[in-house]
Amino acid sequence: MALDREQLVLLYTNLVRARKMDETVVKGLQEGKVVSFYHSGQGSEAVGVGVCTFLRDDDYLYPHHRGHGIAYILGKRANVKAFLAEHYGKTTGMAGGVAGFHGVDPEHGILGGGGTIGSQFPVSVGWGLACKKNGRGQVTICAFGDGSSNRGTLHEAMNMAAVWKLPVVWVCENNLYAQFMPIKDAYPREDIADLAAGYNMPGVVVDGQDVIAVHEAVQAAVERARAGEGPSLLECKTYRYRSHSEGSRDIAHADLRPEEEIEAWKKRDPIKLFREKLLEQGVVKEADIEQIEKEADGWAADVEKYATESPVPGPEMLEGSLYVQ
Amino acid sequence: MRQIVFIQAINEALDEEMARDEKVFIIGEDVQSGVFGASRGLVNKYGTDRVMDTPLSETAVAGAALGAAMAGYRPVADFMFADFMWCAADEVFLKAAKWHFIHGGKVKLPMVLFGNIGGYARIGPEHSQCPESVVMHNPGLKLVVPSDPYSAKGLLKTAIRDDNPVVFFYHKRLLGVPGEVPEEEYTVPFGVADIKREGTDVTVVATAYMVQLALQAAEEMKDRVSIEVIDPRTLEPLDIDTIVKSVQKTGRVVIVDEDTKRCGVTTEIAMQIMENAFDSLDAPIQRVAAANFPIAGAYMEQYVLPQQKDIVTAVEKVIA
Repeated sequence: MALDREQLVLLYTNLVRARKMDETVVKGLQEGKVVSFYHSGQGSEAVGVGVCTFLRDDDYLYPHHRGHGIAYILGKRANVKAFLAEHYGKTTGMAGGVAGFHGVDPEHGILGGGGTIGSQFPVSVGWGLACKKNGRGQVTICAFGDGSSNRGTLHEAMNMAAVWKLPVVWVCENNLYAQFMPIKDAYPREDIADLAAGYNMPGVVVDGQDVIAVHEAVQAAVERARAGEGPSLLECKTYRYRSHSEGSRDIAHADLRPEEEIEAWKKRDPIKLFREKLLEQGVVKEADIEQIEKEADGWAADVEKYATESPVPGPEMLEGSLYVQ
Repeated sequence: MRQIVFIQAINEALDEEMARDEKVFIIGEDVQSGVFGASRGLVNKYGTDRVMDTPLSETAVAGAALGAAMAGYRPVADFMFADFMWCAADEVFLKAAKWHFIHGGKVKLPMVLFGNIGGYARIGPEHSQCPESVVMHNPGLKLVVPSDPYSAKGLLKTAIRDDNPVVFFYHKRLLGVPGEVPEEEYTVPFGVADIKREGTDVTVVATAYMVQLALQAAEEMKDRVSIEVIDPRTLEPLDIDTIVKSVQKTGRVVIVDEDTKRCGVTTEIAMQIMENAFDSLDAPIQRVAAANFPIAGAYMEQYVLPQQKDIVTAVEKVIA
């Protein structure tokens, strides 16, 4: 299904906003407002935005950890004010300030997230199982990185989901590095998508910088899942511009990442690529682009103000919070 | 009242709760056959969608249960041996235990983590643990360790209806133990200890299979000392009040648990008695637990696990 102008503009707006919010969190960390830490996702926004923008609210989503899922969360129409407020440790945060950065928004299918990389696979099987049992055509999106693909949890989960034909779409963001570990030294093949063959499901390599390519690939996988035909694996080739974690050295193993590599990827920036395409096809004009940019600035400032002005929780938050009463 | 054995009581609890609530399902390796008999026969009644045999994948079993629980179901994840639950440590300790809390209460995880515990079957170190203290140590998990058919049935029904993750450990030496279980519907609340035998001289707190050994020791010593045997039944929440009340009466206490002694269940209960009833103690608390070794297999097992004679010795020490 070809996207109409409004949908294309929405995709572009989400890309721009995802970048702005990532920059906002980085700045917030530098200013001491972000209490914990941050793993920027700048450069890879097309994956989350392309995967999530046209999902249903009741589809389940395990966002990728990079950008703490902002491109996914924003695409899924979840509460971005609460996303930033959580990073600021505030009561208005997604988890009331208890998590610090783990995202949750059940109304938008985000039931939670953890800190151990690779743990998204087993729990996504559970969400996929619930989708299948519910019989309402829901799907589960499980995002992961090249690093997660090294975990044994992937095997157990992908195997079980495939055997039971669960409506799960496994979305890999291969950005070439697991913290400081280059994928070429951690995985013996070129494409992580090749793993799909072992589970008798489709495995597709996608240009992760091209939001339309991501959208089309995920649409096909989602339709397949909704039709009861089981899981698929998408591998989106992408990159991150910044270091693994804000403040850490930007290294591969123990040496700096090559600048030419970073510059080469920046030439294929997902926002730039999509903007050029939209302008070239006459979908938008320069003035529209400027307007989207301006509105995104205002939006990010509003979000930031909300998070800054929200209150910090006190020890009374602990009372009765361990169990459902 | 009719008598049934322990594992039948568990089977009835599962059956009744599955009939009561269609969101309840059982998931695990060979649950359709029911390795210890817990879920035996239920597949014929509820079908393969609700009694789900899985690939040999404990981590995915735990994840599937966890995820389904978050999405509105009430799974019972059967790990066969509790030892095998450790394969899914991330899902049990970092997810099930924490996720309600760390997500600000926005999600709930109504699930039962079900596993067979204990030794005295000589089947070696990775099929014989009583890993209660590890569970008890992690905030966010409730922990049930029944010692008799009545409690097992009533507590399992409560566990399935609880909106929180509950670890349900049942001992392999109790499977065939008979007891009175009414035909009528009932549940047993968490956090209420059961006084298994009343006495005036010494309080013996014992869990799971250790209750049997404690009762046998009490019987053996009855001409010398009047022993009160208390079974906490749930370790989280722990009914410390009933234990303290008994200690205030007897002034002497022995704690018996099959988990490893160091940082074990006995350690925690002893310390809580110290904090709540120090002035009532007439003698230092004695503990009987597994020695600080892995559970040994074959003939060596008996030298690691607590024995009835160890309870007798401990009681003799507190009354000396």
